[in-house]
Amino acid sequence: MPFDVSLENVWKQYHRGLTRGADPFWAIREVALEVPQGSSLGVIGRNGAGKSTLLKLLAGITAPTRGRIVIHGRVAALIEVGSGFHPELTGRENVYLSGAILGMRRREIAAKFDQIVDFAGVEPFIDTPVKWYSSGMYVRLGFAVAAHLSPDVLLVDEVLAVGDAEFQIRCLQRIQELRAAGTTMLFISHDLTAVERLCDAAILLDRGEIAARGEPSAVVAAYHRRLALWDPWTDEASVDSPRSGVGVVNVTLADPDRPGAVAFRTGHALVVTIRYAAARPIQGVEVELRYYSADGHTRLAAPRTGEDGIPLELHPPGGAIEFRCEALPFKAGGYAVGAVIRQITDGRVLAWWDGDTRLYVEGGPQTDAQLYVAHSWRLLPDGDGSATTDGSKLREGSRQQAGDAGRMVADQAEESAERLPPSSRRPG
Amino acid sequence: MAQVSTRDRVTVYEPPSLARLAPLTALSRLSQSGDLLLTLSVHRVKVRYKQSRLGILWAVMQPVAMMLVFTLMFAFLRTAPSGDVPFPLFAYAALIPWTTFSTGLTNAATALTSHAGLLTKVWFPREILPLTYVAAALVDMSIASVVLAGLLVWYHVPLTMHALWIVPMVFVLTGFVIGLGLLLSAVHVRYRDVGLAMPVLVQAWLFATPVLYPLSSVKSKLPPALYAVYLLNPMAGVVDGFRRALVLRATPDLQALAVAGIVVALLVPIAYGYFKYAESTMADRV
Repeated sequence: MPFDVSLENVWKQYHRGLTRGADPFWAIREVALEVPQGSSLGVIGRNGAGKSTLLKLLAGITAPTRGRIVIHGRVAALIEVGSGFHPELTGRENVYLSGAILGMRRREIAAKFDQIVDFAGVEPFIDTPVKWYSSGMYVRLGFAVAAHLSPDVLLVDEVLAVGDAEFQIRCLQRIQELRAAGTTMLFISHDLTAVERLCDAAILLDRGEIAARGEPSAVVAAYHRRLALWDPWTDEASVDSPRSGVGVVNVTLADPDRPGAVAFRTGHALVVTIRYAAARPIQGVEVELRYYSADGHTRLAAPRTGEDGIPLELHPPGGAIEFRCEALPFKAGGYAVGAVIRQITDGRVLAWWDGDTRLYVEGGPQTDAQLYVAHSWRLLPDGDGSATTDGSKLREGSRQQAGDAGRMVADQAEESAERLPPSSRRPG
Repeated sequence: MAQVSTRDRVTVYEPPSLARLAPLTALSRLSQSGDLLLTLSVHRVKVRYKQSRLGILWAVMQPVAMMLVFTLMFAFLRTAPSGDVPFPLFAYAALIPWTTFSTGLTNAATALTSHAGLLTKVWFPREILPLTYVAAALVDMSIASVVLAGLLVWYHVPLTMHALWIVPMVFVLTGFVIGLGLLLSAVHVRYRDVGLAMPVLVQAWLFATPVLYPLSSVKSKLPPALYAVYLLNPMAGVVDGFRRALVLRATPDLQALAVAGIVVALLVPIAYGYFKYAESTMADRV
């Protein structure tokens, strides 16, 4: 398998302060890396670990201090959405400008122009200066241009950190498409769920060095083991003397019916797995799963293992708690997921996970209300009871008409039959 | 989607080194970015006059205003150095290349630092940024030339075959602005003194260039050694040449023009080499 990107022992030095000789430090240290053609590599690590520097080196924005980087093919870097937009120019002019800056030819942009505008959904405003655009339109148009590049190597840095949930889902889907088309990708993100889904391999950067590499799930787990047991005072990840003895390693989401899904559906099942690491046996604890609004300010639901009064015992080296929601009550949008491990007796928090995991909801039954709570219903006319209509059967029919062809009728019948009455469900 | 042919393109990034400069590769990459150069230059011209009432008229304001100021000044002094040519014509013909030089250079010198957001986010041949300002200055020059045509008609001064000398002189002028613009913009990324020095530099340069006086008077007053130094300023040959070819209906001073050509021919490759050397770490310093 040929490599599209290879780094031979690359170092990058920066200086703290303004003068050249002052206080040098290595932002990237001895990084050797090869990314096979058509594969995607996730880059994770704490802030300041060197992720963005690595991407800048690969994009050619800055040169390495030592070492060599070889790239085959056309590179496009999505480092900031809308880079190169000029506020005074119209949407149309900016599409050409930004496209040209990203390395597209005029003819290429002209050919894709309608697609770009359509993707961004700004058609009525295309001849308006972008300074009058809403920030959402601005970002959508910026991404639309970048998304229609056809590079051999795509570098993506935290693009998903901007825009609303719908936009973020679109970004993820477009990245999936490019990946399927054989684009080699380097993907930097704090959204570890996305890294696990979108990448074939991952590396963990720590203070400029590769601290772990391999399967995305293994690297993400390694990262979280470090984070969970990381002591902010000494800046050391120490497994020997974590203060509480337990840490949340990661929180992952899955739709049991659709493996690999990027977004989850209202009214459908969601499985949340909370992995933990333990340094010693810990007794009398409970694990709480938390759903937050996208901004993290509102706690929407918090099911916990201790609800039924059963204390848990956690053993080293670690394990996982799986929470299963049969019918997701959230309507389309973005949410954050967090977790807490606490002592039942005194409520002391032993470990927490602060919502780095994003939950995107899209599709499924629509609702204008705050929540979608699945109900079954029956029509009971007075008098003759034989005219009863069973609502769940009707709903299946209408859902199918709505074009939800991906699911089997049999599945749905089963699901409806198993659906619990609202009273016995976890608070949501 | 991804074309097979582009995968053959190999890009290597290595630490900056003068020994590894590859001017031909750099030029071929620049030519591949021709569309970007064009788009950005058009954008430069468009944006400058957007939301302004007089629009493109501002392109002629600077040379016209300077011409009026100089005309008034010499009217008070009653010592116009223009011989039998009307002074407005004498001054304006020289101000056209001068304004192109001064605005082109001033804008090009700060082109990189004023696009820090782009430099740290996207890769493209960095020389495109200063080049677009040179292109915009050339567009302004052609607009300002319309006013010169009007003045020539007004003063009944017909153009002669000598006007064809403009073509090589525009090349020398463009080359000089590009060379100096590349050099200063790259230095400016590291030392912001360049931007601060620009107004002083341009003002002093104006008086060291035969804009307000003819080159012939310098030649007669300076000792030959000093005059040779004076000619090292390529703008001397260009500005005086513009005036002679367009207004005085004479051949430019070929000695001055030849010196200008040689200086520019030496400057451009050196400036481009330095620019490409500095380019690889520009993003760290803007």
